[in-house]
Amino acid sequence: MEFDISMPKCWRRETKGHKFCPGCGHGLVLKALGLAIDELQIQDRVVFGCDIGCSLLAYDFFNVDTMQTHHGRTTPVITGIKRARPDRIGIAYMGDGGGYAIGSQHLVNAAARNERITAILVNNTVYGMTGGQMAPTTLPGMKTETSPYGREISQTGYPTQGPEMVAAITREGAYVARGTVGKLSQLKNMIKKALETQIAGTGFSFVEALSTCPTNWSTNAKDTWSFLEDEMTKYFKVGELKVPAKEE
Amino acid sequence: MDLKSNSYTIEGEKAYFTLFPTLCKGCGLCMEKCPVKVIEWSDKLGVYGTPAVQVKEDSKCTGCKICELVCPDCAITITPKRKAK
Repeated sequence: MEFDISMPKCWRRETKGHKFCPGCGHGLVLKALGLAIDELQIQDRVVFGCDIGCSLLAYDFFNVDTMQTHHGRTTPVITGIKRARPDRIGIAYMGDGGGYAIGSQHLVNAAARNERITAILVNNTVYGMTGGQMAPTTLPGMKTETSPYGREISQTGYPTQGPEMVAAITREGAYVARGTVGKLSQLKNMIKKALETQIAGTGFSFVEALSTCPTNWSTNAKDTWSFLEDEMTKYFKVGELKVPAKEE
Repeated sequence: MDLKSNSYTIEGEKAYFTLFPTLCKGCGLCMEKCPVKVIEWSDKLGVYGTPAVQVKEDSKCTGCKICELVCPDCAITITPKRKAK
């Protein structure tokens, strides 16, 4: 008997296996996104933009129109495409470095303007591609390449809580949520709701996905899951922060 | 390269477990998430030369598909027997 690969339909098969490290959460976030695109049947309308960092390795991931930009600029580029072609569905895909550090002004202003796009941000608490340096989302006391004694809160401040920030500055009609790759079905439903918010045109939609980085955390599979599900979710609370009001 | 080359299927009591070594990177996330702990390292090698995974023989695999869902590389396919017929 022949068994087929269980892969989302919109994934581009000829580029698999993908370029992410073993155990990387990007594959899972992109699987959730792929399943959401399949369920909504919007593959022919999606424009996918990826950022610099590990997220750029998704440039050939889907069978959809894709572009790659630098340093958080994926948000304004997708905004421009959405304004020029309102019938398209724009997805800005970035990491925590691109979204919260070097390109945070783009995320903040797109959210404040309530742009009709979907932003998906992958939070793995480190800069993955450059070798595991401290990121805005690094947990207090967490050891990284540039914080070898653990992150010192008195010097570097507290980790960025992106969805809380975006929820505070967006208007009614926006969708803001934080999911985790440990609960993939929930994450898929969040991304699906975010895309539905964009299709309905009520406002900005933002999903942060807590993700894994075994390479830079230097963890085995067991510790990878426990760091994601026990340590990270203590500081980054999973759930929906802002949901558009249902039409009567 | 054909993604399905060298794939192997293990028949369990309730489901077929199929692994595609061209996709498996040997991260082990599936082993930890398996609720009945029936996934183990295989003698076959994955795409990076690390061990791939398999289900234990005469296993109690329930066909819950959690390993299929948490595999970042889509290297596992679970086919419940009632569907395969």
